[in-house]
Amino acid sequence: MTTQTLLRFNFKYYRRHTLLALLCLLGISLGVGIVVAVELINDSALASFQSSVDFLSGRATHSIISTFGRIDESGFKNLWANPKVKAASPLIDVIANTLETDSESIRFLGVDPLLDSQFRSWIPPLEDRQDMAEFLRGDPPSAFVSQDLMKSYKLKKGDWLTALDAGLEKKIRILGALPEGVEGGLGENLVVMDISSAQEVFGRVGRLDRIDLIIEEPVSSAIPDLPPGLKVTDANSRKSTLTAMLYSFQLNLAAMSLIALFVGVFLIYNFSMFSVLSRRQDMSLLLTLGCDRWSLLAAFMIESLILGALGSLIGLIFGFSIASYSIGKVSSTISQLYFQVNALHVELSARIIADGLTVGFLATLIGVTLPALEVAVTPPVLGLKRQSIEDRTNSLKGYLFLIGAAFFIFSILSAWASRRSIFWGFVSAFGMTTAFALFTPGLLSPFTYYLGIVFKKFSNGLEGFLAARNIGASLSRTSIAVAALAVALSMTIGVDTMIHSFRTSVASWLEEVLTGDLYISPDTTKWDHPLPTALIDKMANDPSVDSVERYATYEVYLYDRPVKLRVIQSEVLGDKARYRFIEGDEKKAWGDMRKGGIFISESLGFKFKLKLGDYLTLNSPEGPRDFLIVAVTRDYSSDQGAIQIDRDFYKKIWKDDRVQSIALFLKPGVSQEEVRKSVSREFKGLERTVVSNHEMRERVLGIFDKTFAPTSTLKGVSLLVALLGVATAMMAILLERSREIRVLGYLGLTSKEIGKMNIYQGLIMGFASFLIASVCGLLLTYIIVYAINYRSFGWSIDISLNNRIFVEALGLTLVACFVSSLYPTFKLIRTASASTIKEE
Amino acid sequence: MGPLLKLIDVRKCYSSGPKCDIFPLAGVSFELLQCERVILLGKSGSGKSTFLNIVGGMDSPTQGQVFFDGSEITRMSPVDLAHYRRREVGFIFQSFNLFPTLTVGENVTLPLDLLGIRNYAKAHEILSAVGLDGYWRKFPETLSGGEQQRVAIARALVKRPRLILADEPTGNLDQETGNGILKLIDEICNESEASLIMVTHSADALWLAPKHYRLKSGILIEDNYVN
Repeated sequence: MTTQTLLRFNFKYYRRHTLLALLCLLGISLGVGIVVAVELINDSALASFQSSVDFLSGRATHSIISTFGRIDESGFKNLWANPKVKAASPLIDVIANTLETDSESIRFLGVDPLLDSQFRSWIPPLEDRQDMAEFLRGDPPSAFVSQDLMKSYKLKKGDWLTALDAGLEKKIRILGALPEGVEGGLGENLVVMDISSAQEVFGRVGRLDRIDLIIEEPVSSAIPDLPPGLKVTDANSRKSTLTAMLYSFQLNLAAMSLIALFVGVFLIYNFSMFSVLSRRQDMSLLLTLGCDRWSLLAAFMIESLILGALGSLIGLIFGFSIASYSIGKVSSTISQLYFQVNALHVELSARIIADGLTVGFLATLIGVTLPALEVAVTPPVLGLKRQSIEDRTNSLKGYLFLIGAAFFIFSILSAWASRRSIFWGFVSAFGMTTAFALFTPGLLSPFTYYLGIVFKKFSNGLEGFLAARNIGASLSRTSIAVAALAVALSMTIGVDTMIHSFRTSVASWLEEVLTGDLYISPDTTKWDHPLPTALIDKMANDPSVDSVERYATYEVYLYDRPVKLRVIQSEVLGDKARYRFIEGDEKKAWGDMRKGGIFISESLGFKFKLKLGDYLTLNSPEGPRDFLIVAVTRDYSSDQGAIQIDRDFYKKIWKDDRVQSIALFLKPGVSQEEVRKSVSREFKGLERTVVSNHEMRERVLGIFDKTFAPTSTLKGVSLLVALLGVATAMMAILLERSREIRVLGYLGLTSKEIGKMNIYQGLIMGFASFLIASVCGLLLTYIIVYAINYRSFGWSIDISLNNRIFVEALGLTLVACFVSSLYPTFKLIRTASASTIKEE
Repeated sequence: MGPLLKLIDVRKCYSSGPKCDIFPLAGVSFELLQCERVILLGKSGSGKSTFLNIVGGMDSPTQGQVFFDGSEITRMSPVDLAHYRRREVGFIFQSFNLFPTLTVGENVTLPLDLLGIRNYAKAHEILSAVGLDGYWRKFPETLSGGEQQRVAIARALVKRPRLILADEPTGNLDQETGNGILKLIDEICNESEASLIMVTHSADALWLAPKHYRLKSGILIEDNYVN
């Protein structure tokens, strides 16, 4: 018998079992889809990030940035006079919200149109001299707006944009649209102004955010006398610095990608294996009829390639659709947390297509070939007996359990090895899920046996008893479906418990550090908009206010890596806040801070291997300066790492008294609403920046929730894929046990009772998956928290269990298993009621 | 006392299109008394199994009526039919049809469980009667064909049905084992006073019932008359 004939035979099977063929294809395409979706999101985020940097850099070879805050404009004149610098362009780069754009973040770039023309072609040909004069004069401040932004918000020439600078309204007139294509990687939200207007509007007179340069000589010879605290970077190092900021986000996606890959491959394997196993007897019959085993194997391998190709192609489209759907959420999260990017675009690259196809093909090939090989080497007489595969599975389950135990130990060892490399953290998570997947047949068999006994003893009907026994009897099918569902569920429980623990830790940290009654804090604080001095003075002298804590945060460079420098008032916080000290004595630390010591966050200590009593060097206007670390505190404010310094001390060294937000500690009995009103009376617009302690915490937790938002989409898809596995396994049982089901009819079971039995079967499989997943998920939480999260960010998280996660997981699983079992049950009832046993 | 089972002009037809083209039963009328035994003969495809399925409430006739103990089962709902099978009918199959996932004891007690009887004394008794004492915890796959059929008989009779329907019970067994099984059926029917309809091809089984019928072209004829 030729392979061709066998192939025809195989595809006739699919023609007769269209639904199974579709389920199999769906399983493969969903598996490929989730892998592709995660890769697409990851790549798009990175590409958009990098193109944003490219776009902002224009033709610049280098940029001067400050390592401690901002650049003094006066130094720029020397630079311009330097003959080794071919071109230089000073820039103001501000992110702010506007009233007209529904508080969406907009990037405002202040440029010198003449100097910048050598770097970028942003300014459109001006229609008349009056426009040019207005642009340069800056009275009123005017700007060109990107075309997409104009279109999105129906803006036109002559309209006004109201930028919010620390909550204060600043009017900017629109002179027209930027030329098409200027948006580049930034997307649509870009406004270009004259530099002096931008300095005026955003309170930066005399200061710059960045200076772009074109230099052809080595930096050291071209600019030998750079003022202290300034740093020259090239485009590549800026890119890598910014990309490093995305690390945590990408890590989150990478973890999801691994989950997706694992679940995807598992499910593809499950579906393809099922398609072969359901033809096991046919295959043995073919062997009996004289077909040689290698032709048989070849036919199945070719079949797997065809299935893999079809499924992978559909999977690519599916993955693209999920990514396109999720990308909006992802881009807004990145913009809010890291760097302004808008409208990420999903693009299928050759690499992603290749990855998707590889996953689809390989998993299908393995899924089809392994069981086909099993049949090919099994004597046909045994293969003809359905029971032989179950006997084999039963005899293998002990070995699988032992291999699982080996994986379990390997996972523990890998978690321990993660102190050397984060890679081992991921290996540990992978090992743990594999271990539990391998434990499944060994656990499922006694579980269903004893559950059957319990059902028989304590329930009136026989449905539960028979359902439990059926699962145990079809271990070759059910254990794979239960393992796949358990893997998806354990990932869900593990990740959710980690997120819950993380959120609880962040919430309790916020309670410790945010102790003010009211905060005047523009939500653009991180974009460096100082509050008006008059407001701060007013609040400090307000009789209803007990004390005011002034706060500012800047990005500084520590060993060439950006970290946060937080300027706090130690005399207020030492009294009012309850910091959690990882290292250092609370009473002594606050006093030491006033003398010039600094607190570092746990993550900074971890990343830079710094501890209590060490010194760290920061650039200041006076040059590099060493600071003694007097405490290491728990601090989740930045995964880049944060340094806290006393305001008075900072002022002395940095000569900077700006305040970005203030915390108000009110006297007893003072109404928060009154204070809010008094701010709004004197500082129109600022009332929108006044938030209560509760609102402030909610704002931070809102950002936290956004960070983990993409996780839920992928989690849902993984679960859906796993549940399809349950449905398939039940269809398999239905096909293979149809005779037994008919016998039940002869014994007097009604169709309803038989249907109930089948639904119980789905529910028991779901419950078994949940039990396995609960244990595995908890262990995964520990691995994620201690071996992945801590090694990545240096954040210690208190693990806290939430019953809701488990109840939700169980509820969701049972509902989904119930839904998955409906169609097989419908088929079953039809089988049971419509057919009789033919004995001859 | 009326007949336990009564069939009046029962017809069954299968059609591949709008018209009936196969008539396994073409007007069968039949009566079976309490404790009466009959053997049903016929070629393959003559409608013997269809007859058993209709009598057992697993299939419905295209036309005609079937009464069991005065109740018309052809008018019963599917649920009532299931309850009829559960209480009154014991099936014995050629291929045993035991549940491989259940132990011998669990297979035998299944009909009792369905009736809500949790006292398994009868099950132990009948297993002992079929010579399978000590097999309670064994799984069917570990038993020989004859032993499996004994378990199937025990399962069919444990609830003391008034009607036993046996479809080629010795068809899968060698002659010696088959004879043993027939003796067992004889003994248990005597003891339980059940009525029996047995389909067989085997001449060795004819002694089990005094009345023999043959299904030919959908018509039921008393075999002695045919002969």
